[in-house]
Amino acid sequence: MDFRDTMQKVYSWACQIGNLGLWIIWLLIHFAVDLWYFALHIACAIESYLISSGILKRYKALDIDKLRYLAIVIESEEAYHIPAVIQLLQWLVDIGVKHVCLYDAEGILKKSKESILGKLNNATLFEEAGESNLLLDHKHITLEFASFPDGKEAVAKAANLLFMKYVKLGGSGKIQEEKIFTEAHMSEALRAVGCKGPEPDLLFVYGPVRCHLGFPAWRIRYTEIVHMGRLKSMRYGSLLKAIYKFTMVRQNYGS
Amino acid sequence: MISSLSPQLLIKPNTATTLSPIPHVQNQRFKLASHVCPSELLSIRKRPGSACAATTQHRRYLLFPAEEEEEEEREVKFTSDAPALAEGLQREPMPRHVAVIMDGNRRWAHLRGLPVRSGYEAGVKSLKTLVELCCKWGIRVLTVFAFSSDNWFRPEVEVEFLMSLLETGVKEETESFIRERIRISVIGDTSKLPKCLEELVINVVETTKNNTRFQLIVAVSYSGQYDLVQACQRIAMKVKDGLIEPNDVSESLIEQELETNCTEFPYPDLLIRTSGELRISNFMLWQLAYTELFFSQSLWPDFGEAEFLEALKSFQQRCRHYGK
Repeated sequence: MDFRDTMQKVYSWACQIGNLGLWIIWLLIHFAVDLWYFALHIACAIESYLISSGILKRYKALDIDKLRYLAIVIESEEAYHIPAVIQLLQWLVDIGVKHVCLYDAEGILKKSKESILGKLNNATLFEEAGESNLLLDHKHITLEFASFPDGKEAVAKAANLLFMKYVKLGGSGKIQEEKIFTEAHMSEALRAVGCKGPEPDLLFVYGPVRCHLGFPAWRIRYTEIVHMGRLKSMRYGSLLKAIYKFTMVRQNYGS
Repeated sequence: MISSLSPQLLIKPNTATTLSPIPHVQNQRFKLASHVCPSELLSIRKRPGSACAATTQHRRYLLFPAEEEEEEEREVKFTSDAPALAEGLQREPMPRHVAVIMDGNRRWAHLRGLPVRSGYEAGVKSLKTLVELCCKWGIRVLTVFAFSSDNWFRPEVEVEFLMSLLETGVKEETESFIRERIRISVIGDTSKLPKCLEELVINVVETTKNNTRFQLIVAVSYSGQYDLVQACQRIAMKVKDGLIEPNDVSESLIEQELETNCTEFPYPDLLIRTSGELRISNFMLWQLAYTELFFSQSLWPDFGEAEFLEALKSFQQRCRHYGK
């Protein structure tokens, strides 16, 4: 009995020491991970500063022409911060981005359109830009404003246009449906209902969530989507880095 | 790498870019034994020395218990020492529908000096693992982007191999689907598939249509724009038949006719794309409006339990407003 009791006590101590040891290891790992993320945060901030100040030379050789159309999705609560939006657009003008689509689900940016255009020099609406030579200026930018109704609602309206055409033709049989309802016809119908913007090459999401919040789905087949964090935490260096990384991407479009 | 050492630790909030790599860490992967039948226990071993394990003993994990209203539809067991979910994973919120773009098979093979087909074969194993994990953790629907309409432009030899891989996979797994009560649905333009594969697909969809435990939706020859267009074609037929007026066509009507209407949860809560690419490549365009996007650096054949856990924990930490 004594031997068994002794063995039980030894076993119990061993378990307690083992558990204590594991707990200490666990704490150390927690600490190490926290330290790692802290270091990562500092590194990002330093990198952003180095990029902004032009010290990192590779970001100077940015092939901005690869970015033909940029979309910016802003979460609706953050879209109220118009000064931040204007600052972001100003940075994009400085980088040389020529066409931007601003989107927020509730249309806050649409309502602030005049204010935004007024504060930016050399900014025009995408719809009005046409084939003007202004677009060739380095510091000129066109802006498109979109909101949730320009997404699914617009597709429904475009579909209605096609349905009216289908009914007028009095079609019968599957062939007629397949001839009228095609991807090309849908694109054309979307332009007819006012959704004229092209497919963005790159889409930045500003906000707490990593989703595109209903941005016109028809237009983002091959769009690169990057979550940029909160609008209030935006940094010029991070913006430049994200655009630079996009210009280095090579898409094979599934083939 | 650090974030995968300790799944219980919270992942830090986003920095300005999503491009933080989540590399595959081979020595941290869990091994999953094959699941034979619902009444048997899944056995998961963690490698000794793993920082995630408090013990080096084998643990037995069970099927995730059903939600209260669905308990009678699932067979579940518990043992006293087995948690239902992986460490660090919370019960809520769990995505009900996960979509995956399985990218990176060819790059995986190229990096190893293997033929492309080896990459696809390895990818099939990853898919099987993911299906098992989804069943275990209570995810109801998994949609996988197996073959896009753009992929038809790949070399003919590669396309033929993919078709034969699909055919073999469906044939070999049909019994398993029936036994595990997994429902299989296929979305996409199946008329372009080889005749024998098309018939096989119709057969497996029909055979498993009453299964309710889990649904695997395989997108083959699929494009998001095509999905919308075919929805309009279907509505047009109803208009022609006088069932609806042209002016009654609305977003909700279009949604009802999308191919993803084959499931109770047509909108994915979480989309995972592997291989580091940051786009959705014409996948479920309409359905992804409020889907959390998770871009993993792992190539698809390397995407295992650790990487899936990473994605799920990232999902659980985000604040979803659905645009409100």
